[in-house]
Amino acid sequence: MFAASDKGGTGRSVTSANLAYHRALDGDDVCYLDFDFGSPTAAAVFDLPDVLSEAEGRGLHSYLKGKTGEPLRVDVWSRTEHPVLRSRPGGSGRLVLLPGDRTGGEFVTDEENLHRCVDLVLRLKREFDVIIVDLSAGRSYAMDLALAATSPRGGLGRLKTRWLVYHRWTRQHVMAAAELVYGKQGIVQAGVAMGHETDALSASIRFVRAAVPNLDSPMWSQVSAAQYAWMRQCDTQLEEIAAARGIGKTRVLSSIPLEPVLQWQERLITDEDVHDRRIANVETWQKMGELAQRLTEDKHWGQL
Amino acid sequence: MSAPEEESRDTETVLACGEVRTCLLPTRDAVDEQVAERLLRLRADERVRLSRRPNRHAVSPDILTGVDCRLPTAGGAKIRAVGTVTARAALVEGRVLQATAHFAAPADGPDRRQPWGYYLVRPGVLVPVGRLARQAVVKGFLTGQQQDELDVGSVAESLLARISRQHRLLDYDTPLNTTDTSLRWAALPAADGEPAAPHFTVADDGRRVVELRLPRGTSPAAAATLCEDLALHDWLLTTVADKLDGLRLGSADGRAALKVLRPLVDHLLHLWMPQARVDRTLNALWQELEETPGFSRQWTSLAQRIRDQLAVQLLTRSDALTAS
Repeated sequence: MFAASDKGGTGRSVTSANLAYHRALDGDDVCYLDFDFGSPTAAAVFDLPDVLSEAEGRGLHSYLKGKTGEPLRVDVWSRTEHPVLRSRPGGSGRLVLLPGDRTGGEFVTDEENLHRCVDLVLRLKREFDVIIVDLSAGRSYAMDLALAATSPRGGLGRLKTRWLVYHRWTRQHVMAAAELVYGKQGIVQAGVAMGHETDALSASIRFVRAAVPNLDSPMWSQVSAAQYAWMRQCDTQLEEIAAARGIGKTRVLSSIPLEPVLQWQERLITDEDVHDRRIANVETWQKMGELAQRLTEDKHWGQL
Repeated sequence: MSAPEEESRDTETVLACGEVRTCLLPTRDAVDEQVAERLLRLRADERVRLSRRPNRHAVSPDILTGVDCRLPTAGGAKIRAVGTVTARAALVEGRVLQATAHFAAPADGPDRRQPWGYYLVRPGVLVPVGRLARQAVVKGFLTGQQQDELDVGSVAESLLARISRQHRLLDYDTPLNTTDTSLRWAALPAADGEPAAPHFTVADDGRRVVELRLPRGTSPAAAATLCEDLALHDWLLTTVADKLDGLRLGSADGRAALKVLRPLVDHLLHLWMPQARVDRTLNALWQELEETPGFSRQWTSLAQRIRDQLAVQLLTRSDALTAS
């Protein structure tokens, strides 16, 4: 699964990490690749403070550039400083992070990077049920690498690949997300130029709306009638804009509600945050779980 | 007469080192002999060796990789070596893929680097520039290389990657998740009267480490075959034990357990066959490992556990059927 987003700050990394966490809880072996060249954040989300310095010269960038034979792997359950995560629940699968280098930055990709990327994914495929690749925001070299690798002649063409495009629920974000996928410089056009088939590629792309205010939740119950009406109207308008740009409801895999905890901290939402400490909303937990489930449920994918 | 003698003296190797990587072939089902042959046809000028007894086994031609770099050493001694590393891949029963890279080294070499022609007539041999500190190399090699030192593991890995990339022959839809293992080995000739005991340990990062004392005159290729056999059986044990470790027997209809057990029966249980191709002179080494830690003993117990579990599942089901 490749995670893309139109801009920064869409909660792409944090939601993908939560998705990985949910899949692992359900018993899948999951690995998470931090391809966010320039600002690797996964180590922070999984609460692995030492990993950033450890990954220096041994992370994914170094691997792709050929500076190290094997990229660093971090077992999240055993290395995290998060008190809840440290006790791995029975029946859960493996959860492994392949961090990026802190000082990696963007770089132009070539054939050799492509080969290394393909070899790595094929190798991980033997060990894991789900491979989640977190790409940088916007059209990036990392995304081109992913598109090239998954094209029919790229080497990963026979793997089941899915793309999630994260965007916030605002007018600018909706338009930017549509542009990222269907625009002239978008994913579909770029993919087709690399040998993908238009239909197959767009059938493997779904959108995730992040930080969506749920107007019926208690959080908004104190607003005035005028405010409420205005927000309703915005919501309806946004839905229209989204539909007109081809990213309407049928193309949405899940909507993650606005979650105060995530506004303050990029972190995993655990069962304990919801039920014992009651700092996170139960809807957030459920929606993250739903997103994790739908990732592999074929009825939510395919040609529309 | 003196020339050939000198030749044989300086090619007599006193050390052999290598690494074996073992993984499940990324396909839904085991592949047949024809596909195995196509997967392992790494060179046009040499054939893939196939054998059917006592199990189906295919071995690729040897691939040579030229190297000129420092050998890993304990204690920081700098030893430069030049020559070629031999690598080959093997497919067991069309199901388990292995790649081995290894080299042998003589006690000393010319004090200056020679032209490539000198090294190319000695395939699979790394000739040190100057003297070889054997013990330091064995120790350094087994603990792992530093930056800019020889990494035979990556030679083996690149062979696995090259085979895994053949997407026309592979569907990448494996019936079970398995973890690749790497086994690093170093062999020195046994001193007279010294027992040929192998030392088998697992390092912190999961890498298997084997130190061997071999009868004089054992070829590096025979040592490599022994270690491939070791690596295969260690991988089988590790994989099956891991699966049984996380097994949840509590679930009501036992379907979860069956989902784990079934692929083990379908794909792995029949692969156990120690010493199928190991040189007879090395039998004693396997016997040692059968004593401690007792490879076959553990395997028999695991296999029995799987069969017992399946029998219990069957009984539970037929009970449930009768009751309804």
